[in-house]
Amino acid sequence: MIQVTQLSKRYGPHKAVDDVSFTIQKGEIVGFLGPNGAGKSTTMNILTGYLSSSEGDVMIDGQNILENPQEIKAKIGYLPENPPLYMEMTVQEYLKFVCEIKNVSRNETAQRIEYGLETVRITDVRKRLLKNLSKGYKQRVGLAASLMGNPEILILDEPTSGLDPKQIIEIRDLIRELGKDHTVVLSSHILHEVSETCERVLIMNLGKIVADGALDTLARSLADTSELVVRASGSKEEVEKALGPVSGIKTLTISDSPEPAAVDVLIGSEENTDLRKDVFLAFSAARVPILQMRSKNMTLEEIFLHLTNAEKGVE
Amino acid sequence: MFAIFKRELMGYYQTPIGYVFMGLFLLISGFFFAYNHLFTGSAYYSSFLGSIFFIFIFAIPLLTMRSISEERRQKTDQLLLTSPVSISDIVIGKFLAASSVFFVTLLVTVLYAVVVGTYGDLAVAQTAGAYIGFFLLGLCFIAIGILISALTENQVTAAFFTFFSLLFVWLINLVKQVVPADNLSGIIFAAALGVALSAYLFFNTRSWIVGGIAVIVSAIIIVLLALIDHTVYTGLIGNALGWISLLDRYNSFNLGILKLDAVVFYLSFCAVFLFITIRVIEKRRWT
Repeated sequence: MIQVTQLSKRYGPHKAVDDVSFTIQKGEIVGFLGPNGAGKSTTMNILTGYLSSSEGDVMIDGQNILENPQEIKAKIGYLPENPPLYMEMTVQEYLKFVCEIKNVSRNETAQRIEYGLETVRITDVRKRLLKNLSKGYKQRVGLAASLMGNPEILILDEPTSGLDPKQIIEIRDLIRELGKDHTVVLSSHILHEVSETCERVLIMNLGKIVADGALDTLARSLADTSELVVRASGSKEEVEKALGPVSGIKTLTISDSPEPAAVDVLIGSEENTDLRKDVFLAFSAARVPILQMRSKNMTLEEIFLHLTNAEKGVE
Repeated sequence: MFAIFKRELMGYYQTPIGYVFMGLFLLISGFFFAYNHLFTGSAYYSSFLGSIFFIFIFAIPLLTMRSISEERRQKTDQLLLTSPVSISDIVIGKFLAASSVFFVTLLVTVLYAVVVGTYGDLAVAQTAGAYIGFFLLGLCFIAIGILISALTENQVTAAFFTFFSLLFVWLINLVKQVVPADNLSGIIFAAALGVALSAYLFFNTRSWIVGGIAVIVSAIIIVLLALIDHTVYTGLIGNALGWISLLDRYNSFNLGILKLDAVVFYLSFCAVFLFITIRVIEKRRWT
């Protein structure tokens, strides 16, 4: 459905998007994840034909967006970072205008507008001026507008920004629902949002794609070490001595603990090895009491930080 | 294109801009009509429109300042440019909307002519000619305003620069009289044009070869012309300014003569400016 090859976008000497390639199949829900300034919005702007790439190609449905822009743009519904609203218009007037420029036929327009209003639940504000709406409502009007042309592909740049928690859940459910018969590409810097709605994530950093895949696969591939966090009552030397006989320890970090006369120990081991019993017995034999012990799995946040920081180190 | 036109036209009356433009235009023109025709009892109406040219300088910037700059500032250009409409549809739609507001305003002033016709002897041909010329002149100024509006995100900046551009166009005939007319300055002017053209080609192609060839070709042309007939350079600057002068061509309309070359000139002037506007918007997507 969407095929991007070696896409780059330069702003002067700065490369906002740097040699990015990916393919998105029909019906997928894909999340773009990355810190601010990672190139998510720029990539989306290129996908929708708002910006042109400096290098590389975007093929939608087998057609190059530069060669056949009108036809391709009719297939895409786009919600940019700031919903593009004409503030002097009412919600209904605005949606009608969007229908007109998206070539929705006259007979279908009324029906499309009703569908849009109901889907994002803004029927009650249809007669209000856009400039008088709250941020959350504006965001929802923008989302309704992206649905007007009945597009096959939805590209949503931070669709839940500015919404309250209840609305966020509603919009997420809506995106999942839309994902059944649309191809959805959304961006976010909120991690669990992406994990809840998307089957696949593309993590971007500094204009590059640093990871591509399902979230749990990513988590597993990155978790090449499992870690154990222990708080023990004793000094650094005592802990080091106590752990001496334990085999299978890859990394060991001992730091001061917020509790008095205790240290925090971070024990890294090989993948798929469980050191908890060995560690317990070793501490016990050395008569160093364990105050806390928990194993640490890589959370979404850590995957994200790991990937985005690793990349920074290279630069 | 029709959707863009309709929204734009609606936009003029959903914001105060449309009313302010019409009000300003009609207030000043009404004042001049009363002063020059009612109070003096003059029926020489076709001179009336010629006497209110300067309204353009104040009123056209109002009409065009928001046109494209505001789309960019509010990011609504993202909606337009990602929809199945072409950039030329957008620009032409906006141009037609501004022209329509101007047309409707001008239509109101026809009432003045009716007053003159009722109580005096109205020269119908001259008046009709003057109206056609005045309208075409207005279209050219709107085209200039729309181009400037596409160059900035700030409507105040757009209004400011449109004001000065129109002022320059208005004063071009005065400038024409004071520029030097000797051969040498003509040659220098031609050389400057050649350099500017070469620089334009160079910056568009980033190729030293293209830029270099353009410099050499324009130098050869300038030297050849100087050898063959150096009178070409006499008064060249003045003639060039006269050629782009919009106001000069209005005079024939005022006499009731519908000169085809003047109509074509005005319409192609608009076309060139709208074309440049389209290119400016297109180019921004690449940078």
